[in-house]
Amino acid sequence: MKTSRTSTLTTLAALAALSTLLAACNANPPRASACTLPEGHNLERAISAARFDLTTGCEQQFDEYFQRLLVIAEGDPKKDNKVAFSDFLIWANEEGLLSKRQARELYTRYFGVKYVTLISDYSVCAQTCPRQQEVMREMNRELVDKEQGLLKVSADQREYYRANRLFQETELVLDATCEACGPVE
Amino acid sequence: MKTLTIRDRTSMQKIIRRLMSGCLLIMPVAVQAGSQPPTIQLFPTTVLEEIKHTGDVAAQMETGLQSVIGRLDEQQKLYMQSKCEGNEGDPGCERIARQMGKSYLEMLAIMGDRLPEMETAVNNTSASLEKRLRSELGQKRTSWTLQELLVGAQSDSANKADRPVLRGRSGMRLSDRFHQYYKLVAHSGGEANSSLAVIASDIYLDMQETSRLIASTREEISRATLMEQLNQSFGTITPEMQEVVAGVKSILFGEDEALMPMTAPPASQPAPVDESPLTL
Repeated sequence: MKTSRTSTLTTLAALAALSTLLAACNANPPRASACTLPEGHNLERAISAARFDLTTGCEQQFDEYFQRLLVIAEGDPKKDNKVAFSDFLIWANEEGLLSKRQARELYTRYFGVKYVTLISDYSVCAQTCPRQQEVMREMNRELVDKEQGLLKVSADQREYYRANRLFQETELVLDATCEACGPVE
Repeated sequence: MKTLTIRDRTSMQKIIRRLMSGCLLIMPVAVQAGSQPPTIQLFPTTVLEEIKHTGDVAAQMETGLQSVIGRLDEQQKLYMQSKCEGNEGDPGCERIARQMGKSYLEMLAIMGDRLPEMETAVNNTSASLEKRLRSELGQKRTSWTLQELLVGAQSDSANKADRPVLRGRSGMRLSDRFHQYYKLVAHSGGEANSSLAVIASDIYLDMQETSRLIASTREEISRATLMEQLNQSFGTITPEMQEVVAGVKSILFGEDEALMPMTAPPASQPAPVDESPLTL
């Protein structure tokens, strides 16, 4: 009797151990992320790690992850990096981390020629001229981001040149147009 | 005795330089743009005619000044060759000095005669351009659609090396810049609207600046004339006179060489990069 009970206990213990072992072998264990920003020089791996973290409790740190990915990408600048970031932002939109508008604006801010700073609904005279200096300062900050995205990450000199040129032309045309619009009332 | 100081003449010389270079080559833009009417109405016929008229007035002033400048140049050479510097008491040198002073006064007189007409022409052009810019760019467009207009221009002429150099950034003489405008307008088709926005802005801001310069020059001319007349009566020639001659020469004959513009587009034209669906 005693021997039989001992044997049952041993079997149960073995089953428990086996179950623990099987759980440990699971390739995608459900676990909470520590929100550690990706390291290394491999953008693909870093994006993969970021995707995992951003869907396992680190959503609030999306900006930090995005910035880290940019820095990692700077280590190997190439035009394909643009596509990688585009895919990443589309994924972020599909996962509900960003709205479509946010994803577009973020992509354009770093990898587009146009300036999201200039998005507006009203006329130049009414909306832009009253805050012309502020708009130009914000465009300048965006140009710095384009330098990172277009030049340092994507090695796309031509597009960066266009963005730089657009900045200067916009500055000139706004100067003239706002002068023509007259003083702000 | 109070004579013109170096500062007086240098400032006058700067004013003249900017004034002349700002207006001399406006005419080609007007003529060429007239044959390619833009869709956005920045350069209607009236504006073009005013620009052309301003160019004509500026050209007349240039013609009038060129001969007196040439004479001043010769007189200065003679003054230097005769080793008159430091030898002002010499009767021969004094005679050359007086002749230079007369030429200088003549230059001031020509400018005094021409400037009122030029001021009117510049102010009219400036007012017309102002109206068009306010209406076509300021009121009909948002900053986003304005940007799209400008980006359109970049795509249309991405490979053209002759896009206008922007105002005040290149160190290039205004006359050279207007020449670039001319080439740009001459070589662009109906899609030149966006470039015209830049050109219109550039010309308008230049006109505004020119108008201010004319006003201050007119104020200066009376004073400079009086000072030089005093100079004449005492038969004094100062080294400053040489500076004036050299300065005015550089205005008309472009001895100030350009610093080249900011950046230039890369020579190679890379293959189109994968367009992201996120692109705005």
